[in-house]
Amino acid sequence: MFGTYDIPVEFQEDEISISLHRDQDLLIYHRDCLGDACDKRMFSKAEKILMIPIEPVTQPKAITPYLFIKLDKTLLLEPESTARIYVTFPLEIGVFASHGGNPQFIDGFTLTKKKFTLYGEPSMGRICRYWASGVHTTIPDIDGLREGIMEINIQNTDTDWVEVKKAVFNAYGMKIFYGQGMVSMKSTVKLRPGGMAETSFESSPIKEGATKSVEKYALKRISVATGKFVMEHGL
Amino acid sequence: MIHNKVIYGNVTVIDLIVALIILVVSIGVAKALVLYTRRLLKEKVDKGQLEVFAKVLYYAIIVTAVLVVLPLLGVKPSGLLVAGGVVGLAIGFASQSIIGNLISGIFLIIERPIKMGQSVNIEGTVGIVEDIRIMSTTLRTFEGLYVRVPNQKVFTSNITNYVANVARRVDYTIGIPYTAEAEEAISLIKRLIEAEPFALKNPEPVVYVDNLGDNSVNIIVRFWSPVSEWFSIKTKMLWRMKKVLEEEGIEIPFPQRVLWFANELKGSVKVDPASWRDTSASGRERSY
Repeated sequence: MFGTYDIPVEFQEDEISISLHRDQDLLIYHRDCLGDACDKRMFSKAEKILMIPIEPVTQPKAITPYLFIKLDKTLLLEPESTARIYVTFPLEIGVFASHGGNPQFIDGFTLTKKKFTLYGEPSMGRICRYWASGVHTTIPDIDGLREGIMEINIQNTDTDWVEVKKAVFNAYGMKIFYGQGMVSMKSTVKLRPGGMAETSFESSPIKEGATKSVEKYALKRISVATGKFVMEHGL
Repeated sequence: MIHNKVIYGNVTVIDLIVALIILVVSIGVAKALVLYTRRLLKEKVDKGQLEVFAKVLYYAIIVTAVLVVLPLLGVKPSGLLVAGGVVGLAIGFASQSIIGNLISGIFLIIERPIKMGQSVNIEGTVGIVEDIRIMSTTLRTFEGLYVRVPNQKVFTSNITNYVANVARRVDYTIGIPYTAEAEEAISLIKRLIEAEPFALKNPEPVVYVDNLGDNSVNIIVRFWSPVSEWFSIKTKMLWRMKKVLEEEGIEIPFPQRVLWFANELKGSVKVDPASWRDTSASGRERSY
C-alpha cells in the first residue's frame, strides 16, 4: 500500500478505506480505519498523495517521541560482544499531500493496538509508546500492514554479562524505509557499564532498494535533540 | 563654554550628558540583547528558564551602567556603601514584606518548585501559573479568575504541583453486590484498563478486593496515566467501568438497611402488584 497516488484516490485494503477527490479548489479527504474516521477539507493544489510509514509514536495522540519495545525473551550478552537481532515495531501510516516542496502531513492512523507505558520512575521517567515483540535471529514473517521489522545491532561494551529485556528509542532519530516487501529500521544499542544503554538509528534499510520515508520528527525542528536516547532506568 | 559649566561639585554639563547617554544606550542595549537572546534560545530553552535568564540579563546590564555612571555624577560607590548601610537599615525595617517578597521571588526562581503553565495548588488556590515575577506569582484559576499571590506566601506555603511528574495515578473504589462474583468484576475492569491506551502498562495496574463494606464488596482500582491525560482518563474510565459491570449483570449497589421490629406491627398493608410502584432513593424504579 505504501507509495505515491495520483488524486483522485479511492483506496481500500484490509480495514482501511481512504478517499481523496477535488471539488474545484477544495480537496476533500475521508479516511476510515477500524471505525475511527477522519474528514478534512484542504485548499491545496496538490496532485499526488503519499501513503507512507511514519514514526510509530503519534497514535492516538502524539504525547511522546519515545518507543518502548518489550522483548518477550530476556537476552544475555557476554562481555565485550556483539549481537544482531530482529524485532517488530508497530506500523503507523501517514498520509501526505505532495505539491512541489515538502510534503504536507494530512493524517495518521494505525491498525495496531495503541498503548503507552512509563520507562523509569513517575518523577524522572519517560512516557513511551508500548510494543511487545518476539526476538528473532533472522528476518521474521510479519503482517505488513501492522508491523515493521527493526534490526538491532547490540554492542556490549561492559566487561560483565548484561541482561536486556527492553529497548527505548527516540523518534527524532528514526530512519524508516519501505519497499522490498517490508517496512524496516536499523538501530544500534550500545550497552554501557552501570546498566545503561544508548540507542540510535542508522540511515540504511535492512534490504537494499527500499525507499526512505518522510521524517515527521525531523531533527531540524529542534536543534538540541540528538535523536539518540540514553536508557538510564534499566535494560 | 557651556559644556564646561559646573552644575554641582565637580560635575559639569558634559558629565551629565555623558551619564545620560550611557544610561540610555545601556537600556537600549539591554532591551536589544534580551530580544536577541529570546529569539536565539526560544526553541532550545524552557520558556520559564528563558524568562528568568532574560530578566537577570536585563537588570545586570542596567545595574552595571548605573555603577559606571555614578562617578561621573560625583557619587563614589564606596561612599554609597556607608550611606547605603544606614539608609538600607531604615528602609529594611520599613519595607520588610517587600524585601521578603523580593528574596522569596529570587529563591522561587532558583528552586523552581513551580513553572509557568503548570497546574498547582498554593495554599488552597488551585490554578495555572501565569507568571512568576520578582515580587509576586499570578495564577489563573480553573474558573478563569486572576489571582496574585505574594512570593513570600508562595515560598512559605505548601505547594502541590499536579504536573511536576510525568505520570499520575488514578484511584477508584468500586462497590459490587455480595451476590456478584468478585473475580469476574476484577477481570472485566482489568480488560477495560488494558484496552485504554493512556492507562499505562507500567507501573502495572492493580485491581483487588479491599474490604467487605456495609452494603457492598469494595474493589480498589489503581492505574497510572500520563499526567497530560490524567483528568480526561479519570473522568472517562469510571463511567465505562460502571457500564461494563452493569452490562454483565453486576449492579453497583446502593445503601440498604433491614429493619427488624421488636413487636409485631399492627395493621396490614395490601399491595396490588399491577398498580403499585416504588421509586427508591437511588432513582431506580421497581415494580412489585
